[in-house]
Amino acid sequence: MARRWLAGLLVLMAAGSVYVSGTVLERRAAARERSNQLLYLPNGRHLKVASLGQATVLADMIYIWAIQYYSEYERADRFRYVEHVFGEVITELDPHYVDAYWLGALILIVEAGELERGLALLDQGFAANPDKWILPYLAGWECWLAGQPGRAADYFDAAAATPGAPPTVRRMRAGMVSRAGDLETALALWNEILEDPGSDPTSRAIAERKVLDLRVQTDLRELRAAIERFRFENSRFPGSLEELQKRGYIRGVPRHPDDRDYDYDPRSGKVSAPEGRVLGESA
Amino acid sequence: MSARPDRVRRRAPGIASAVLAIALNTFREAVRDRVLYLLLAFALILIGVSRLLSLLTVGSEEKIIKDVGLAAISIFGVLTAVFVGVSLVFKEIERRTVYTLLANPVRRWQFVSGKFAGLLAVLSLNVVLMFLGLAIILAIRGESTWALLPAVLLILVELGIITAFALLFSSLTNPILAAVWTFAVYVAGHLSWSLKLLKGKVPEGLSQWLCDLLYWLLPHLEHLNVKAEVVHGQPISLGSVGLAVLYGTSYALAVLVLACVAFERKDFN
Repeated sequence: MARRWLAGLLVLMAAGSVYVSGTVLERRAAARERSNQLLYLPNGRHLKVASLGQATVLADMIYIWAIQYYSEYERADRFRYVEHVFGEVITELDPHYVDAYWLGALILIVEAGELERGLALLDQGFAANPDKWILPYLAGWECWLAGQPGRAADYFDAAAATPGAPPTVRRMRAGMVSRAGDLETALALWNEILEDPGSDPTSRAIAERKVLDLRVQTDLRELRAAIERFRFENSRFPGSLEELQKRGYIRGVPRHPDDRDYDYDPRSGKVSAPEGRVLGESA
Repeated sequence: MSARPDRVRRRAPGIASAVLAIALNTFREAVRDRVLYLLLAFALILIGVSRLLSLLTVGSEEKIIKDVGLAAISIFGVLTAVFVGVSLVFKEIERRTVYTLLANPVRRWQFVSGKFAGLLAVLSLNVVLMFLGLAIILAIRGESTWALLPAVLLILVELGIITAFALLFSSLTNPILAAVWTFAVYVAGHLSWSLKLLKGKVPEGLSQWLCDLLYWLLPHLEHLNVKAEVVHGQPISLGSVGLAVLYGTSYALAVLVLACVAFERKDFN
């Protein structure tokens, strides 16, 4: 009986000791891990060799771990090793892991506010996966959100050139070129979509409207430039748009796609789309 | 002239039936093995857990389920091949049933071939069960599993090579050493490509010759690894899968012949 009690006591004491020492060790390890966790993450190339043919599943495990790691917002150096984790470790193990490039870039651009670093990661992903239109497409969106439509247009251009890209990408590309101010190229791109027999009905309907809209915009831009030149050289506004043509400032007086004249006020020199029109600036 | 074909005709069913009988017996014996069930259960649990893992991720849910599923089929298949494979011959010797068997008109190579065929049948059954588990999980998510078949087939071919090595080593030594050697071949087989790199770093002469020799002797198990390609839906030509199957089966056959030779020379006294 006494032996049993002794054994029970010993087990209880040992369990208590395990609990206390284990808790202390865990706390210390947690403090150490918080600061050094990434220092122990091996290089992706080395991990690939050690994975013995299971590189993709290892990439998944590190990807899941990285999501949990970067979800802790209180980390001071949270954005320091993002490229290493996503661009070197995970994607070295699995170069076709598109979501890893995307998530790494998202952390860098949206959370860290580092557009260039994020775009570099997406560029790396597209170089490794030239058949994935989604990567330049995402880069294009981020550039657009950052107020760089010209750069966004280049990315959408790359995405649109990738086989399998949906019609939205071509539309985004033309839209970005237009927002970047290159109306002629934008008009050409929308015309291309409109005339392509492979375009879907939605894209064609949007392209039709955009082509007309851009025509109005290019007409108005051309007219305003000619009026400004006329005023500079003659110290007054032209009496009518026809005067601009007669004096050689424009080749012909353009008409609105609805076959109506553009509105012109000779006193203020302002030209605009006919009132009540959907297309152009009156919309 | 006519006596020879007759002799062949008379002998052929005997050879086949002896190998088949041993294979069937091995299959029954292995199916009764608790280790097998334990490994199979672990693999199925892991495949099920892949669904939970996919909940922790951002995107890539299907990819993670497929990756974990294929890794489970491969890893647990190798564990089964090694642990069951190395004990098959040893058990027969330890229980002395091998003497009874070989006292019958059964050749030693028939015994080894039967063991190999039986274990391969067990492994095939395991792989099919694990693949079905994975297919069910993917089907619930509305995903097809057909694209994964080339990877599963090549995993089975890889298991054939590992089984052949397990039988070869178990014919030469005790089960523990045989398991260690078989694992060593598995590891080296996945790293055999590095011998070419090593060759460029070592001095010319014997070292380089040794690198070349090992490079051609060791199985190139990475030739049989198309898991990443199938998971990412990348095109794999039927020709390259066929070549990989030919490579793997030829290699397994060569090792099996060596295992038969080793068992022929084994002294049971």
